[in-house]
Amino acid sequence: MKKYLLTFALSLISLTAFAQTDYEKVMSDKIAKIENCKSLDEFQTLANDFDRIGKKETKEWLPAYYAAFVYIQKGRMLMRDGKMSELSAQANIAEKYLDQAESIAGKDNAEIHLLRKMSYSLKMMENPTERYMTDGMKAMEELRKAESLDPGNPRIALIKAEDTYFTPEQFGGSKTKGMEQFKDALAKFTTYSPKSKIAPNWGKAEAEYFINGAAK
Amino acid sequence: MKTKLLFLITFLSFALNFAQTRISGKVTYKNRGVGEVNVTLKNTYDGATTDSNGNFSFETSEKGSRVLVFTHPKYIDVEKPIVIENQEVSVNAELKEQINEIDAVVVSAGSIEASDKKRSTTLLTPIDIYTTAGAEGQITSALTYLPGVQKVGETEGLFIRGGTGTESKIFMDGSLINNYFSNSVPGIAGRDRFNTSLFKGNVFSSGGYSALYGQALSGALMLESVDLPDQSSYDFGVSPIFLNAGFQRLGDNKNYSYGASLGYSNLKLMQEIFNFNTNFSEAPQSVNSDLNFRFKTKSGGFFKYYGKYDSNRMAVETPSLEPENYDQSLVKLKGKNTYHNLSFKQKFGKYLLNAGASYSYNQSDLDFSTQKDEIQTGSTKLLNDGNYINFKTVLERKINKISALRGGFELNSTSEKLNFNDFVTKNYKDLISSAFAETDLGFSNQLSAKIGVRAEHSSYLGKSNIAPRLALAYRLAKDWTTSFAYGIFYQNPESRYINGPANLDFQKSQHYIFQVQRTTEGRSLRFEAFYKKYDDLLKVKNLQYIDGQNQFVQTADNNSGFGYAKGLELFWRDKKTFDNIDYWISYSFLDSKRDFMNYPMSLKPNFASEHTLSAVAKRFVPEWKTGFNISYTYAKGRPYYDIATQDVNGEQKYFVRHEGKLKDYNALNFSLNYLPNLGKKDSKTFTVLVLSVTNILGSKNVYGYNFSMDGSRSSAVIPPVNTFVFVGAFISFGVDKTQDAINNNL
Repeated sequence: MKKYLLTFALSLISLTAFAQTDYEKVMSDKIAKIENCKSLDEFQTLANDFDRIGKKETKEWLPAYYAAFVYIQKGRMLMRDGKMSELSAQANIAEKYLDQAESIAGKDNAEIHLLRKMSYSLKMMENPTERYMTDGMKAMEELRKAESLDPGNPRIALIKAEDTYFTPEQFGGSKTKGMEQFKDALAKFTTYSPKSKIAPNWGKAEAEYFINGAAK
Repeated sequence: MKTKLLFLITFLSFALNFAQTRISGKVTYKNRGVGEVNVTLKNTYDGATTDSNGNFSFETSEKGSRVLVFTHPKYIDVEKPIVIENQEVSVNAELKEQINEIDAVVVSAGSIEASDKKRSTTLLTPIDIYTTAGAEGQITSALTYLPGVQKVGETEGLFIRGGTGTESKIFMDGSLINNYFSNSVPGIAGRDRFNTSLFKGNVFSSGGYSALYGQALSGALMLESVDLPDQSSYDFGVSPIFLNAGFQRLGDNKNYSYGASLGYSNLKLMQEIFNFNTNFSEAPQSVNSDLNFRFKTKSGGFFKYYGKYDSNRMAVETPSLEPENYDQSLVKLKGKNTYHNLSFKQKFGKYLLNAGASYSYNQSDLDFSTQKDEIQTGSTKLLNDGNYINFKTVLERKINKISALRGGFELNSTSEKLNFNDFVTKNYKDLISSAFAETDLGFSNQLSAKIGVRAEHSSYLGKSNIAPRLALAYRLAKDWTTSFAYGIFYQNPESRYINGPANLDFQKSQHYIFQVQRTTEGRSLRFEAFYKKYDDLLKVKNLQYIDGQNQFVQTADNNSGFGYAKGLELFWRDKKTFDNIDYWISYSFLDSKRDFMNYPMSLKPNFASEHTLSAVAKRFVPEWKTGFNISYTYAKGRPYYDIATQDVNGEQKYFVRHEGKLKDYNALNFSLNYLPNLGKKDSKTFTVLVLSVTNILGSKNVYGYNFSMDGSRSSAVIPPVNTFVFVGAFISFGVDKTQDAINNNL
């Protein structure tokens, strides 16, 4: 009987252990999907998945962080399609999730500041003329904060490189300078190790994509 | 064995518990499937997102009574209790629309809003104004490139839809700006006194404007001043006609700022170079200065102060129309003006308080004289002193996301002294007290209304009025909206005509405006039709002519004038079709007749053109760091009249002695701005060089005719110069505004 009891107890333990890793498992599954998203619908589905996880795991900041990230990626896809008037709607939703993430993770989280930077940049792109002095400035400020909190973070290097790459030469940007910065970012990626299996670890493929000359 | 069996059963029941159950259904809004709805089995990871038809399906291992939640930002959340047993669960949900600011339709009949808050593409921001060729950096000039605003060269003011220049009023942060335009002499329009970059946005209403504003029969321009600057800066500008310098300091903790500027302008040099039509015996010159501070209080209030002082002078000599009496007539002007505006804004929970006060003083000293054989023969002095105080408070309460209730009051005090050669001395005082209430009602994202009422009392007239205003907006389809506006508007008779006793009343107009608008990414199309009915317009008569006087003095007689204006307008702006090119086209058709002032009968007003067409195009070429701008205006010839008096049974009656049509107005303007330091990362100065040519083709435009006393001779009223070239440099120090300029031109 004792033996059975033990088995039973063990199986219970394994069940709870299974429940614990369930969060990480489901997160890993969803995170893996982000880079493969090909359509706005897929982004939306994924954002909703993270929202659902976030509502259950109220002590974890990553679900909200990824939900924000997915909305930003969705916004960037809209931007590539020239649908500028829809950018700030995406950015506003992303900011709501970032607030939520920040309330759990604290104000000194470089990854969250970086997403805020990306979100402000999105908003600015909707109407650069009007919003440069407001959202553009806020974006720069967030990037500065992120960098001072975590200078070695390869994602910050990647976003800076993108900024340089896409700014025309007349305005102080440059494709070649941008390339240098991408290489820099890639170097940082190779030595970077994420804090956990599900901690932010995106961007390497993007850096490679630029370095391999895929973006023309 | 028994225990083994028990264990097996337990295990099986566990396994059964882990078996997946499929949950599916359809989410609809008004019987149509809604995509992107987040369907969640509450407190689990399980759920799905609906496809474009509203269908969803997912599997769960949960059992028992659960709640399914449907969320979508545009709809109100729906919760459905379900019981999960072993068979598939099917759940459908019907959503209700959530009213929100971004999707709600906004009333836009009669108004063009230029702020970033509303996602309108019909913006006219400071940058738009600076880069509109022919606008000379002036807000009111740039507005003439929009539909509904007439280009009237000889007089300042916004001539909106068949209204006179004095039928429009200009406000700064809610407070009235008296004497918005610089003092001037007859035939030459005054200029905007206010620097365009002082304002971050504006709402221009060509009719049917809000109950918060009054005393304008035609339309209103609401300017919104800038908040705290983003950085400290020093700048100066230099050109052959002006010099100016200024600075802005931002407090270290970014909660206050202050700044000042000083400028001087003189047209003398240009007069030497260009062939002026107008003979300035004293070239127009002016001194202007301003001062500002802005600060945020700890409790979230925001104070803004802006004050300015300017003085200007000029003298104009014209060949005589009465050669037997004199050879030349001369008019000299000395003007002085100061304006101060203090505004305060704070949120208290659901309430928003907006209060503002403004004071202005304006002096215009005109001296009319004639010359015969180099000897001054007659002098008529016209000295005008005005003191104006405006006070206004508006309290706004939000009802829901898109509905609000506003109410407040306004006091408008005018005290004017006029001295006309001791022939007329007047002391005019008026206090207009107004109360108003307005509500924005959002019924749904498709339908909204604005209902308002304004009541005014004028101490001078000893009369009161009540003016209801109404506007509706309805979204026809995704990009199409339509709106309708109606309103009654009152305005006191112009004090400059009150030179003797008369029993007067408010002048009145009624507006009916219908608009259809289509807005898509980077493009905007507007169609507007309007009908405006005027009643109780001012009629004037000449005061008795005294020998030695060389100007007639008109005085208000009664309010028996009337009239109408109706028309159609089209506006098209497109930033998308051509790379780096932003262009817009506007066309206005206007049919108007009125019997007012000294008109002996109902006539087409001499300031109203039947057809007006304008086009503006801008292109920035990054490689050359240069922006190119052109604009074109065409206006069909306006009518002109020579109205004289004759004695009918001992009474002075006006009659039309001559009339005709002016030639059509044409002007092609060009300007370019070159940014030499653009993109130099370490550059400490930021420079913009500007070259602009107005009326590049040199069209000889005529604004009207002056007639001699007996009507036998006439002379054309023409612009001071046909073609004008301006070059200037604007330099800022201390801060790099390069990025600013780039983004302004992207």
